[in-house]
Amino acid sequence: MADSDVGPLAGATQNWTTLALMVVVGAIALASLYMGFTNYGEGNMETAFMYILIGVSGFVAIGFTFFKAKPATKTQDGPKEVEVVTTLECPQCNLKRVRAFQPGDYIFKKDEPCTRCEGMMTVTRINARKDPKEKKD
Amino acid sequence: MFQLLGQVLQQQDSEIGMILNTLFSLAFIVYLFYAQKIQGMTMLRQIEVSLRKIKRYRDKGKNVAVEAIKDYGKPEQDPTPQVERFIEHFMIEPVSMDPAGVVQKLGSIMNVREFTFKQEVVRMAPEATESQRNNLENLLEASLVLNQFYKIIRHYYLMGKKTMNIYIIMQIHMILPMIIKQIEAYSAALQAFRDGIPIGDSVGPIVASKLLNGAPTKLVATEMMAGEIEFEGRRVIVTKAQGPGGSVGKPGDAIDFLVNREEGKVKMLITVDAAGKLEGEEVGEIAEGVGAAIGGPGVEKYKIEKAATENNVPLYAVAIKQGMEHVVAPLVEELMEATDKAVSSVKGLILDYSEEGDTIIVAGIGNTVGVGQ
Repeated sequence: MADSDVGPLAGATQNWTTLALMVVVGAIALASLYMGFTNYGEGNMETAFMYILIGVSGFVAIGFTFFKAKPATKTQDGPKEVEVVTTLECPQCNLKRVRAFQPGDYIFKKDEPCTRCEGMMTVTRINARKDPKEKKD
Repeated sequence: MFQLLGQVLQQQDSEIGMILNTLFSLAFIVYLFYAQKIQGMTMLRQIEVSLRKIKRYRDKGKNVAVEAIKDYGKPEQDPTPQVERFIEHFMIEPVSMDPAGVVQKLGSIMNVREFTFKQEVVRMAPEATESQRNNLENLLEASLVLNQFYKIIRHYYLMGKKTMNIYIIMQIHMILPMIIKQIEAYSAALQAFRDGIPIGDSVGPIVASKLLNGAPTKLVATEMMAGEIEFEGRRVIVTKAQGPGGSVGKPGDAIDFLVNREEGKVKMLITVDAAGKLEGEEVGEIAEGVGAAIGGPGVEKYKIEKAATENNVPLYAVAIKQGMEHVVAPLVEELMEATDKAVSSVKGLILDYSEEGDTIIVAGIGNTVGVGQ
């Protein structure tokens, strides 16, 4: 997440609308330049000059956007919180139960009576649930 | 099109060719004189984007701390001004021109800092329990770090903008990806300390607790517990910070106390701690070595080394590898599993390097947030 935000052209490329608009303007500018040179080759000086002017203006506008556009980022609310799970085990019958973490849970806490025997279930693990989208290190 | 462009440019005498030639020459001259400035502007833009992101993290840190204080501490007044004052707190390190006694001086200053933080938290959250107060203290420290990162990066950004000096801008631009990684780690710590979730650094205390396996413990130093177990005919004294509130305790003091109490009977001292992994290493890898495995400014490490040297106790270390992003973030599955491997590693070291009847000290180093004993 961090690396993409500090990469090249970070500010402008963050916003997909801006990026799409720049691609469209770039395509129009390129086509205008082509038309301009074609017309120049055919001797239509006034039309050629107009097209080239449009093309150059398009590229200038793109360059200007890179420097002046207000940076927009994907996450406006700051860091996301991870899902944490608590694993409880009964030391007597080895019953295992996994539930969402609740404030007040801690490892080795004798938490709740076992549903299968008379024992007390103990918190044996507390860990963040793996994000399936997370790439391996 | 490029062929056409070439034809146009070659026709110097034509009107349009002349205009384009002038434009190209102008662009070349502009680039010749202003290339560095353009590069500086691009870098400043990238720093600005990151700065906005860091500001959001800083603001979130402050808000989370305020909300947690309101929830746990039930203060009569809004704690926001106190939190704002807290996150501006600083510590001046002792002068090291005369290095003799600098560790003691640093230790003394850090004790004052800890005392001040505890008092501040008591005032902010009068109704909070001791564990909650410890967690709030850690939460406020994470907010303080985020605030400092924000202010330092903002300083370089504004300085670069003011002077347009490429070298000032480059200084911060080059290290920005690493700083962002650290900031993201500290922002993940907010959730952990608010809710009392074990973090990557808690692996040492988890290993200690697993070794103790419910054995009775008692207080041996400031926020440090110790208990005894019997393993293959050896007497093993296990020490860790007092949980489940967020605390690292004073492992140096605990080890010094235990080594002196045993009057030369300790044959081996093993420290278990989280260690930074290199790129390419797996999260949760276990490594064994010698020396005192403990981070921080060095005061506790000094005490451990001093106690071991004075009593001729060999120091062994077990490191549980993890990335910068894991250290203060909620504990990941790989690290939870690694604690079992670390327990086996500690037992292996005891069997390999001690004999029956020996006394061994095992210290689980790290923050014990969310870990009981």
